[in-house]
Amino acid sequence: MIGAPTAILLGIVLLLLLLLLAARGSTVARELGSAPDLPMLDDEAGLDACPPEFVARIFSSDDWEFVSGTRSRQLQGLFRRERKLVALVWVDQTSKAIRRIMREHTEATRQSHDLQFATETKLALQYAELMLICGVLFLAIQAAGPQRVRGLALYAGTLSQRLTQAQQNFKTVTTGREFHGAGSS
Amino acid sequence: MLSQSIWWASITLEVLLLARAIRGKLAFRYPVFYFYISFIIFEDLISFLVYRWKPAFYSYTYWTTEFLCVLIGCGIVFEIYRVGLASFPGTARMARNILVVLFIVAAAKGLVAAANDPRWWLEAGTLELERTLRVMQAVCVAALVALFLFYSIPFGKNLRGILLGYGFFIGMRVITLTFFIGGSDASRQFWGYTYSASYLIALGVWCIHLWSYEASPAARQAIQIERHYQRVAAATQRRLHDARTYVAKAVGS
Repeated sequence: MIGAPTAILLGIVLLLLLLLLAARGSTVARELGSAPDLPMLDDEAGLDACPPEFVARIFSSDDWEFVSGTRSRQLQGLFRRERKLVALVWVDQTSKAIRRIMREHTEATRQSHDLQFATETKLALQYAELMLICGVLFLAIQAAGPQRVRGLALYAGTLSQRLTQAQQNFKTVTTGREFHGAGSS
Repeated sequence: MLSQSIWWASITLEVLLLARAIRGKLAFRYPVFYFYISFIIFEDLISFLVYRWKPAFYSYTYWTTEFLCVLIGCGIVFEIYRVGLASFPGTARMARNILVVLFIVAAAKGLVAAANDPRWWLEAGTLELERTLRVMQAVCVAALVALFLFYSIPFGKNLRGILLGYGFFIGMRVITLTFFIGGSDASRQFWGYTYSASYLIALGVWCIHLWSYEASPAARQAIQIERHYQRVAAATQRRLHDARTYVAKAVGS
């Protein structure tokens, strides 16, 4: 009834989760002992740890164009390395801030009596999506560098807009046909 | 010789575990778990006696007690849920909903499989039936562990030990049974020993974590618990949305 690969996969997933639990057990105990009783969920800081003008420059190609204008290979290499490092630190900080948002939420709601399954599932999915984006960004920056990532993001954005436009056009055409069909019958 | 050693080591650890539980009054705190351990000792003794005096009945005795063990094991999962989430009604509600969803999915899958292959129930051996039940247990334990991790539920040493040991035993049982069913005679011997060794490891984990009673760390009171859930959820949703916009803006603008 249950395939061998599925059963083995489930067994491995369970063992990995237990490993995580064992590793996190001591961390949680430490946190319980030392966590200050700070007001939570009102703290909107964290994501804005980096000034916006600074963040905008990480993925911008302006600085790269300036450095490549110097025609110094050494400077170009140094710039690429430094910029990649800064971008990776930014992704790490952002993902930590997102994790903190969710941790604060779960700490505030785990004792709540009127917790809603649908809302929690939706939030968990949103969180998973954001963490996935951060993971993909991390890998992309490692592989291609921040400037190319911006290009990829712009390309993905344009593609997404085109898809939305195509979907809307398709919807309009389908609705028109249905309307005509209804009229002729 | 090896199997004899494992058998005697298991019996010794089980008796030790039970003795420590009675001495430290842990048996009253985790009754289902200690009933399970007592039942395994009883199973070992009965199997030994039947094997010695009525070998023809050994197979029936073994499988009957093994399936009773699986059923009591479900009780352990319920005890972990009950004790672990006693102070966390919100997470307990999530756990109930997730387990109900899992049960519905499993029942639907079972019905579909039975409709496609009605002879499965007749042809499936005891091993395959046990694997199916163990997989269901593994899914339930995995869902609970994921929930405990997601909501950062603090554990006492005792409950963590029960969960780690039993979860490890179930995970290994699923893996070894799968290889055992599809393996050759030579590999079956290896997987048989692996299974026995994994049970011994689980007993070791239990002995370490359940040597004496240790109170669960008191959960930090929910911050401003009087706050309405809807408000908290809405605030989190807004913050996650802001985070998404922030990332998109930084990369795409």
